[in-house]
Amino acid sequence: MITKEEIFQAVATVIDPEVGFNLVEMGLIYDAEANEAGKAIVTMTLSTRACPLHQMIVQWVKEAVEKIDAIDECEVNLVWEPVWNITMADDNVQKALGG
Amino acid sequence: MTAISQDFAPPFKLIAPYFIIGVVIYLLSAIFALFVDVSTLYFLDVAVLGWVHLFLLGFVMMIIFGAMAQLVPVVLEVGHFGVEFFYIIWPLLLIGTILMCIGFVYVPALLPYGGTVVLISMLIFVLDIFLTIKKVKKFNFAMTSVIIANIFLFLGVIVGIILALGYAGQIEVDINTLLKAHVYLVVGGYIIVTIMGLSMVLLPMFGLSHHFSCKPVEIALGTMSGGVILVVIASLFDIAIVAYLGYLFSIVSLFLYFYQGAILYATRARKEHDIYAISLYYSFSALIVSLILGIAYLLNGAQSILLSSGWLMMTGFFGFLITGHLYKIVPFLIWFERFSPLVGKEKVPMLADMVPNKSAKAQFFFSAIGISIATTGLLISSNILFKAGISSLVVGAIFLLQSLIYMIRFKK
Repeated sequence: MITKEEIFQAVATVIDPEVGFNLVEMGLIYDAEANEAGKAIVTMTLSTRACPLHQMIVQWVKEAVEKIDAIDECEVNLVWEPVWNITMADDNVQKALGG
Repeated sequence: MTAISQDFAPPFKLIAPYFIIGVVIYLLSAIFALFVDVSTLYFLDVAVLGWVHLFLLGFVMMIIFGAMAQLVPVVLEVGHFGVEFFYIIWPLLLIGTILMCIGFVYVPALLPYGGTVVLISMLIFVLDIFLTIKKVKKFNFAMTSVIIANIFLFLGVIVGIILALGYAGQIEVDINTLLKAHVYLVVGGYIIVTIMGLSMVLLPMFGLSHHFSCKPVEIALGTMSGGVILVVIASLFDIAIVAYLGYLFSIVSLFLYFYQGAILYATRARKEHDIYAISLYYSFSALIVSLILGIAYLLNGAQSILLSSGWLMMTGFFGFLITGHLYKIVPFLIWFERFSPLVGKEKVPMLADMVPNKSAKAQFFFSAIGISIATTGLLISSNILFKAGISSLVVGAIFLLQSLIYMIRFKK
């Protein structure tokens, strides 16, 4: 069965074009799981509710996960709690954005 | 899963004319200012009225309307009622602006025609906004500000038409009395309330600000709305004390808005001093200096102080807030149209790669220096200083146009 780490690895190929970092290192991916039937569920958030790219980002996440051989379908669960903040991002992101 | 909005990015060909025309008019308005004699200038001078309408309608409103074509669905979280309306709004606004500008400077008889064409373009805009708002189920601060701003815009344009008819000699009205109502409804009621609303979406989004209080801007929206209503009442019934109360409300409102900006600045995660950030620094600094000059005018009454305050508010605060956001909004729209379909298939540029850094910084440098010198020139009624500043602003405006063309034509 596909592990959470493998799904995170796939999602890490999706880059936010505004900040230039991938969604995993931005801390936007909260959880991921897959069942034996080949269905994956990714729980994620966005840095702002008003993100004009959010439809596309959700679509990119689905496409990236569905590229994994054993995954046939991916559902993205977009949540707003907990609210994302910069401390959820990796150190390299915090350092780079910190100017 | 949380429902997400549709139609977040209209086609760029729909919005491009607003940005291109807006920036060209920004350049033309700077060239126009080169021919203004500031030594004898006063608030109601035809040169002032012509320049203000060219700048506010042709640059500020043109770009706000274009940006709203994309931002309304983002702010209201529903699709436009009729996004196609935006194909007709810009030609009407452009024609009306040109007619009004010529009307003020050369042929007053053209003013009602120009004003009517502007009115039609704005009514179409307001109609789309209100019919779009009808689809909204839950209101937040930005949505409330969009509603308030568009009510003020509607009333402001109606007063403007009456003024234009009076100015052209078609009807008899007290121009001085109605002018304050017109200025406050359009500038305070529409432009500033719109800026407040959009700021609470755009500034936290681009700065990645989180966990901040919105109380200052909420109070600012209320006090600005109250200030506009008081000045309108004072204009219509000629009550000086109410007018001063309205001015006080507006000044308090703008200080509160500045304070909100400082909160967003302090809580932001992105601390790069890129062209967007430095444009905002200048814009907010200009706002504070303009307010101080405004207070000085209320105490002193000198025309030169009023003119320099208004000039700095428009070119410094509005101008840099708009040009700074162009470096965010235009690359996004181009990227969305040209590169987003390629994501996952090939390497695509980041949004920051699409900004011409040298040209953008030159635009900032020449414009900031130019506006600062020109403000000083206006303050001491020095033609030489004013024209020196405007010359620098013209160079800045040329760099802005160059930056815009670079972003629009960007290829990998």
